[in-house]
Amino acid sequence: MKLEIGNFYVKDIVFGEQLSLRDGVLTINKEEALAYIREDERITEAELYIAKPGDKIRMCPVKEAIEPRIRPDGRSIFPGYTGDLAKAGEGVTYALKNCSVLVVGRHWGGFQDGVIDMSGEGQKYTYFGQLNNIVLVADTNEEFERNEQQKKNDALRRAGHKLAEFIGACVKDLTPEDTEVYELGGMIRRDADVEKLPSVVYVMQPQSQMEEMGYNDLVYGWDMNHVVPTVMHPNEILDGAMVSGSFMPVSSKWATYDFQNCPNIKALYKEHGKTINFLGVIMSNLNVALEQKERSALFVAQIANSLGADGAVVAEEGYGNPDADFVGCIVALEDAGVKTVGITNECTGRDGQSQPLVTLDEKCDAIVSCGNVSQLIELPPMETVLGELQALARDGLSGGWADDEILGPSVREDGSIIMENNSMFCGDQVCGWSPKTMKEF
Amino acid sequence: MKKAIVYVNQFFGQVGGEEQAGIEPQLHEGQIGPAMQFQKELDADVTHTIICGDNYMGSNTEEAVDRILDMLSGKEFDIFLAGPAFQAGRYTVACGTVCKAVKEKFGVPVVTSMNSETPGVDMFKKNMYIMKGGNIASKMRQDVKAMARVANKLLNKEPVGSADEEGYFPRGIRHQTWLADGKPASERMVDMLLKKLNGEPYETELPIPKRDLVPIAPAVKDLKQAKIALVTTGGIVPVENPDRIQSASATRWGRYDISQTEALKGGVYKTIHAGFDPAAADADPNVITPVDALKVLENEEVYGSLHPYFYSTVGTGTTEAEAQRMAKEMVPYFKEDHVDAVIMVST
Repeated sequence: MKLEIGNFYVKDIVFGEQLSLRDGVLTINKEEALAYIREDERITEAELYIAKPGDKIRMCPVKEAIEPRIRPDGRSIFPGYTGDLAKAGEGVTYALKNCSVLVVGRHWGGFQDGVIDMSGEGQKYTYFGQLNNIVLVADTNEEFERNEQQKKNDALRRAGHKLAEFIGACVKDLTPEDTEVYELGGMIRRDADVEKLPSVVYVMQPQSQMEEMGYNDLVYGWDMNHVVPTVMHPNEILDGAMVSGSFMPVSSKWATYDFQNCPNIKALYKEHGKTINFLGVIMSNLNVALEQKERSALFVAQIANSLGADGAVVAEEGYGNPDADFVGCIVALEDAGVKTVGITNECTGRDGQSQPLVTLDEKCDAIVSCGNVSQLIELPPMETVLGELQALARDGLSGGWADDEILGPSVREDGSIIMENNSMFCGDQVCGWSPKTMKEF
Repeated sequence: MKKAIVYVNQFFGQVGGEEQAGIEPQLHEGQIGPAMQFQKELDADVTHTIICGDNYMGSNTEEAVDRILDMLSGKEFDIFLAGPAFQAGRYTVACGTVCKAVKEKFGVPVVTSMNSETPGVDMFKKNMYIMKGGNIASKMRQDVKAMARVANKLLNKEPVGSADEEGYFPRGIRHQTWLADGKPASERMVDMLLKKLNGEPYETELPIPKRDLVPIAPAVKDLKQAKIALVTTGGIVPVENPDRIQSASATRWGRYDISQTEALKGGVYKTIHAGFDPAAADADPNVITPVDALKVLENEEVYGSLHPYFYSTVGTGTTEAEAQRMAKEMVPYFKEDHVDAVIMVST
């Protein structure tokens, strides 16, 4: 399977007459874009903003991030979600780089939503602080979940994905500045000099803990709670087969942007043919019942063995309950003779003294650690807030609180905030960006 | 100028060797022994040196600590240092004990230094910065420098780096930190993967503590003939606590004769365990140490006989190493009396 991602680098974003990309300047006709968003009758209020690195902007509650893309041949960029089912991972996709569409609630947030700062001390806590962002701030008529802590955010998230495709369309007939080529043929009968290298699978554990549909990550529009682990081609993940959900404390989240750009996959691709024989992806999940966890671990180990994998990398999109899936999967792989590296974040508490994962096993002897979800973060006021900052304190965001005897409320009258890393939007970057690690003090 | 006070034992306090290990705590103005080098290295004045004999501290801990705290009352100091203690077992425990008490009472930062092979490390590493020290006194300069480096950061309110960077024993605290080279997780993953695949050494970013699992013992074959002993970590002791077992982070244990006792009575026995509400156990110590039920079952010949002592210590905060040592000290008594099985009552 061969995927060509044609890159267009966005250096600046402005609002103007016509949706276009010229000399690195992305121009968006705001009214046209908003009219497109409002085609979904559930959207009651919508506005667009631009947020670039260095801008004195804080966003909250942030719900999703998507890289604007288009497929010149007319296939949808998220098959089975924003358009008809079609094969992902093959052919040509165009991408607007250094750029993302962010979806922010106009008022209401939830457990799964987060914060992004575009400048100052808070900027480094999320990947999106360094991107040129098109920010959709909107509200919906989804009354049933207005006061729910767990929100599906369906209308808003779909609006974001559609907007990403709408904006991406402006490069449909242009020539990309450069092209990344991802090509990986069948797993067997590869060249002899590739086959002599140790073979490796990448095991992904995307979020699927909700029994009710509408919250979990999707594969070609199908809820990840309803799958048993299966083999996927890495190109499918890079090309929109996976859409992020709306469930976990958000520092653990893999945004759709993270799937589209998954650094772990790209890093393994880079080593393919040089130091490893990259077989592909085993797509697993993170269901809550013990039997489901064990079943998934059995499947993953079996598939790895059947494919003849010498090594595996396991990454989890979550912490707490999912640690059991993460550790269980690594142990199953090690027991099956597959040398495994894990990537995760930790939950060591505000004082750093708690057990890092819910369950531990000595067989997990090679872990890359990306951060502490419960680290306390205090940030000064920001000139501009997109969304409603009070959501952090009021709406049960995983890293915020209404009041605390010692720390006071998460959101102070002067606009400064104190929160746990839990609510930093995709802050732990287990998908591979993370410049953070954990150290003993 | 900020102020520091230094604690040393009789030897480094230049009082004398083992024959002086029984000396009581003394407070001296100015600097004696290692305190002189601290004076050079610290961003603070070392105003006083406290000297105490290691044996005195070991066998009169409570009194020694109380007297040292009294000596410090009213003194102005911004940091408290003890040692370096090198590989001297009793001295390391003394340094840890005094530092912990001073930190708790006065709220000032404390720093000490010990060799990894000493009991003080496991007992106190979670309570304070213990620098990884040398095994012999010739490492004095280097160990004092290491202590002073961390002490100066504390004095100047600068962030203290990770255990690896600074050279102290990890305190059981894990925090997130930005890597200086910004190397992303994906690249760290590939490095680790290649090393693991190729059988080369690598360093995990999340070390999993080794679990020392003890297999469950096989069932007692013939209970009717078995001699049973009773052990608890619930801190049940005669009310006067004759063995001075600590209420937390215990290093001491006791055994108490129950050959003539039908049941443990409140007022005669109590719990000194600081990890739970003692009301129920003080009223009826048998709820933790069921001597009453075991005596009844013995009379009913459900089992052979009860070992004439029960054994007690406190489990809360007690390190695995200390627990293991105490158990090893109890075992010969069981063997001597041909005990077949032990009932271990936790809380």
